[in-house]
Amino acid sequence: MPAHTRNLRDKYCVVGVGETEYSRNSGRTTRAMAVEAIRKAMLDAGLRGRDVDGMMSYQNNDSTPANWVAADLGIRLNFYMDVLGGGSSTEALIGLAMGAIEAGMCQTIAVFRSMNGYTEFRIGGTGVRAASPVRGQDLAQRPFGMTSAGQNFALTFMRHMYEYGTTSEQVAHVKAAHSKHASQNPKALLKDRVTVDDVLKSRWIVKPLHLLDCCVETDNATCVIVTSAERARDLRQRPIRVLGVAGRVNKPRTDFHWAHGPITRVAGYYAKDIVFGQAGISPEDVDVTGSYDAFTFTTMLQLEEYGFCKKGEGGHYVSSGIIELGGKRPNNTSGGHLCEGYTHGMSMVIENVRQLRGTVDDYCPRAADGVHTYDYAPGRCRQIKDAETSMNLGWAIPATGSALIMRR
Amino acid sequence: MPQPVQYRGMTLLVPDNDSEWKEYFAHARQHRLVMRKCTACGLMRYPPTHGCPWCMDLGWTWQEVSGRGTIYSYETVVHAIQPGFKELTPYAVVLVELDEQRGQPTSDEALRMVANLVKPDGSPEAESNVAIGKRVRVVFTDLADHLSLPQFMLNDEPATGRVWRLED
Repeated sequence: MPAHTRNLRDKYCVVGVGETEYSRNSGRTTRAMAVEAIRKAMLDAGLRGRDVDGMMSYQNNDSTPANWVAADLGIRLNFYMDVLGGGSSTEALIGLAMGAIEAGMCQTIAVFRSMNGYTEFRIGGTGVRAASPVRGQDLAQRPFGMTSAGQNFALTFMRHMYEYGTTSEQVAHVKAAHSKHASQNPKALLKDRVTVDDVLKSRWIVKPLHLLDCCVETDNATCVIVTSAERARDLRQRPIRVLGVAGRVNKPRTDFHWAHGPITRVAGYYAKDIVFGQAGISPEDVDVTGSYDAFTFTTMLQLEEYGFCKKGEGGHYVSSGIIELGGKRPNNTSGGHLCEGYTHGMSMVIENVRQLRGTVDDYCPRAADGVHTYDYAPGRCRQIKDAETSMNLGWAIPATGSALIMRR
Repeated sequence: MPQPVQYRGMTLLVPDNDSEWKEYFAHARQHRLVMRKCTACGLMRYPPTHGCPWCMDLGWTWQEVSGRGTIYSYETVVHAIQPGFKELTPYAVVLVELDEQRGQPTSDEALRMVANLVKPDGSPEAESNVAIGKRVRVVFTDLADHLSLPQFMLNDEPATGRVWRLED
């Protein structure tokens, strides 16, 4: 039985987006960064303090709660909630925001994530995180030197290479493509273009992951504002409608997902029918994707699991040129987590909103006037021509995922 | 209350009220690898969860298993995150599929465990010897009176199925 309904399709919109600088030395608190990102998103939408009455965030005890942040912007909240969660929370919280508004709990919600992911709580698991005591379920992995995200995912990637013949060279194309995109993005932390060979020659972290297969830990805050389509009509930006949302969707046995195979299957397998079912479209209808590129491999796994190619053919798909600017369906046109900066999933939604509006910040000579040339040569454009439909593929662990389809 | 165990810079906590792991590690200290076996449907499970993942029953007993299995996947940690593991690099983390209950209750399911692949002296197995498909057996690293870590070492028997490792 389908788990989806189309009751809310087109009824809710993303109306504002904003972010701080992506850096490795923010020199300030998560509260200060959150305030800046939310304020930018409010100004982007044309909203004032009294217009926003809901706030949600996700974190891992590494951030500032919504009710502290709201006060700095003169916002009195009718609804707020900070959830424990990392990757794949973005899309899910946009869905929850729609639900809270639909339930009449509030009218307009700012969803944010703020983290000093490099200078305070290292997302890679070093420092404070590595030193915490090991108990309960952690006893099944951490005593064996398996604690970081890369270490937690590498067994999946290695098994995919064994089952399907996927190669390091194929997935290195993801980094090469995203670096090309980042080079056209003034905000990106890593703007240098890298080649497949650069990835393969970078040092090993945890095989099969090289250094350049891994994303870049970053200090930043990000915000997405959700409201009803009715309210969106009066706001500053072209509303971007939500067609479908799923998450956080789990595989069976998520306590220890290795127990339920095939381990090369990721949560998108379960999420795709929900999100495509709500939207009433298929992968062929999507113009631009935003994958959770914590690693090159995760992009490959998500794209194949959501049906952009057959299962097992992800390596071919990501190395075919399709995912590059100028290709049939570009992925992570901002450079994503691999190059723009690691945001726990938020920045890929922000980028897709701007793609659908037709307002990405690139180096086209007249970009400031909203004129894009669609010339993807180095130092030029990254706006996609006539992008109508986007899809975001959220990911946390291989067994957890979220997804979001938006249309202009 | 058992004392916390220091191991490679980590503090391992298995308190008296750890209703999942305490007895598991006590059995491991006696060099027995045990799984929880559901008294209703008879299926074993790992990790030692409170309820049965297949029938929701809360009744269980400890069932000893042979400790023999096959490497289902692996990774080689070259850049260690935990400081206490830096001296071991490169070390292998293996996902071992135990011989018991393979492909049950569905073809994709099995009793699988994460561990290190070690030599008889407990040091990491040479990287060139680690491969999917190789046969292994459990060995125990004693850490305290109440706690041993189950680890795996290569077993001298023919591999099952295709043997594969990442090219150097």
